[in-house]
Amino acid sequence: MESLVVTQAINVAYEVLILAALVLGLAVVMGLLNVLNIAHGEFVMLGSYTAYLVQKAGLPYLAAVPAAAVVCGAIGVVVERFLIRPLRYDPFETLLATWGLGLLLRKLVELGFGRGYRSVDIPISGSINIFGEAYPTYRLVLMVVSAVVLVALFVWYLRAPTGARIRAMVGNPVLAEAVGIRTRQLARNTFVAGTAWAGVAGVMIAPLTPVEPFMGLTLIVNSFFALVVGGMGTVTGLFAGSAIIGGLQSVLTAAVSPTTAYLAMLVLSILFLWQRPRGLFPRP
Amino acid sequence: MLTSLKTSRRELLRAAGVGALAIGAPAIIRPAAAADTLKIGVLVADSGPAALFGPAQRAAAEFGAATVNAKGGLLGRQVEIVFADAGAPPAEVAKSAVKLMLSDKVELIFGSHDSAVRQGVENVVKGKIPYVYTPCFEGDDCSSNVYFLGETPEQQLQKALPKIVELAHGKTFYLIGDDYVWARTTNEKAKKYIADLGGTVVAEDYYPFGAPNKFETSVAKIKSAKPAIVLETLVGGDNVNFNRTFADFNLSDDIVRLSCLLEENTLAGIGKDASKNLYSSFGYFADIDLPQNKAFIAELAKKYGDKAPQQCTISKGLYDAFVFAAAAAAKAKSLDAGKFGAAVEGLTFDTPSGPMTVKHRHTDKNIFLARCDGTKFTIVDTFSAVPTQQACS
Repeated sequence: MESLVVTQAINVAYEVLILAALVLGLAVVMGLLNVLNIAHGEFVMLGSYTAYLVQKAGLPYLAAVPAAAVVCGAIGVVVERFLIRPLRYDPFETLLATWGLGLLLRKLVELGFGRGYRSVDIPISGSINIFGEAYPTYRLVLMVVSAVVLVALFVWYLRAPTGARIRAMVGNPVLAEAVGIRTRQLARNTFVAGTAWAGVAGVMIAPLTPVEPFMGLTLIVNSFFALVVGGMGTVTGLFAGSAIIGGLQSVLTAAVSPTTAYLAMLVLSILFLWQRPRGLFPRP
Repeated sequence: MLTSLKTSRRELLRAAGVGALAIGAPAIIRPAAAADTLKIGVLVADSGPAALFGPAQRAAAEFGAATVNAKGGLLGRQVEIVFADAGAPPAEVAKSAVKLMLSDKVELIFGSHDSAVRQGVENVVKGKIPYVYTPCFEGDDCSSNVYFLGETPEQQLQKALPKIVELAHGKTFYLIGDDYVWARTTNEKAKKYIADLGGTVVAEDYYPFGAPNKFETSVAKIKSAKPAIVLETLVGGDNVNFNRTFADFNLSDDIVRLSCLLEENTLAGIGKDASKNLYSSFGYFADIDLPQNKAFIAELAKKYGDKAPQQCTISKGLYDAFVFAAAAAAKAKSLDAGKFGAAVEGLTFDTPSGPMTVKHRHTDKNIFLARCDGTKFTIVDTFSAVPTQQACS
């Protein structure tokens, strides 16, 4: 029984960190630019397909990380230039546009690869003993990567000049432009960083999930709820949202039942949307 | 100016009238022309979660129609397929079925889709024309003039479970499935067989259908409960995800898995590293070594070449539907509900998976127990003429 508790505790941490990795790209674009990128799941999906192709070509799995960042970043550049910017970053219009973009990306991938499942081999096999319990190594590596990236981003956003410029742009775009910050470029880079990271998240989860054209649809659900609960535009909110949604689901699945866990998450998200739509830690 | 406008309006009206006639006339002419061919409505998954099977379903149906036509057709008439999408919500598919009957004038409906859609279609067809439902399903449906060619849980489990117990050297079961009627019914039926074998069920987990599920929690519980066998009633992506997680937690060496919905496409997703000690029990696999199947696969390969969609039990059922309907109609000499229904009882027809015999509007058939070797199935046991335990009159 005790060993089960240990494994389940690691499972909770795993679920929270993986969710945080998936939310990150969405949180950057939504929290800082007010653009709800409905196609976020499709960028993750494209990252997973990139990983599949890299592995199929016999290249080391790590090569998929820059490859996916480039593929999804490049598509991000095009999307920003011809979809998001012409719509003036308007929250509602870009929501509709990215919804359409998601449809297009799914259909394009379906054309190229078909509807069938692709399986990506786990690049690091084996397991490591933690408190006497064997846990798969690849999952542990993912947890560490996700944690390191989130902490690094947190520090960077607070300390680096670019972080300060983004904060200035978000706080008061007109004033930011007046003091010489090139907001147009900065907004583009922020958007592209979000899509590129979505691609990297896709590489991370590809070996753990069925890779198919519609995988993004289910992935975006929890990510969106994590944002709603946590609040947009702050790293604290991202952590809190992922911890609450991921943790709640993981704990209730273990303690009660998976269906109850899913229901509880939906109820919680509805309550937040209704009573506290800005989430727990919104941007001030 | 005024006169010219008047004339043009009159001409416009005349043109519109002619146009309407041109559009409307075929509706009057059609019944006469339609007598030559016999239209069959075929419901396939063009969209929705099962769209993965769509191309293979279409291929199997088209080949079924071609086979029947090559042998002189159905009741002496050439058959023609009218496809409709079964991937939409049940109410939408029911509307398509109404359209198939009223405007396309189909005389038979074949369908490969889930039970919710079947019930929607049954509600509108109301037994007026024969409706042949082809995929595996939970059983317990005796709607009038509906014929079931797929595997019931009883067929999948009654012979396979004793064999699995023998292979696993143990009788403790952990049940895991998606939270909906097929999985829960299958598990209820499984529990009876498990009790008959003197086995026990240590736990059951059900995951919300269509939700972004992760399976680490259940796998940890399985690891701690140490059952001999995991009985899976997970579907599609969940089936892939669970089995990959299971293997990644290193349980596949010691615990045998039997999946009730594992066909070729899902196995490709599970992958070679996660399929050790994983079994599937079904009425058809694309690799079964029967001459009928070799011919079936070879003919499809001839027609589609490298692009031939992967066949599996879910798609292949639509081919069977054509063979079944042609044999039944030949015996009944009619598609009239009463005559057709009376003629099918005891009818035997040959399919790529071997002969099927109609009993109580279901079919006794071969069931194959297959072991996954990498991403291929190896048949380890064949059970012939397994009864469905259904009692539709």
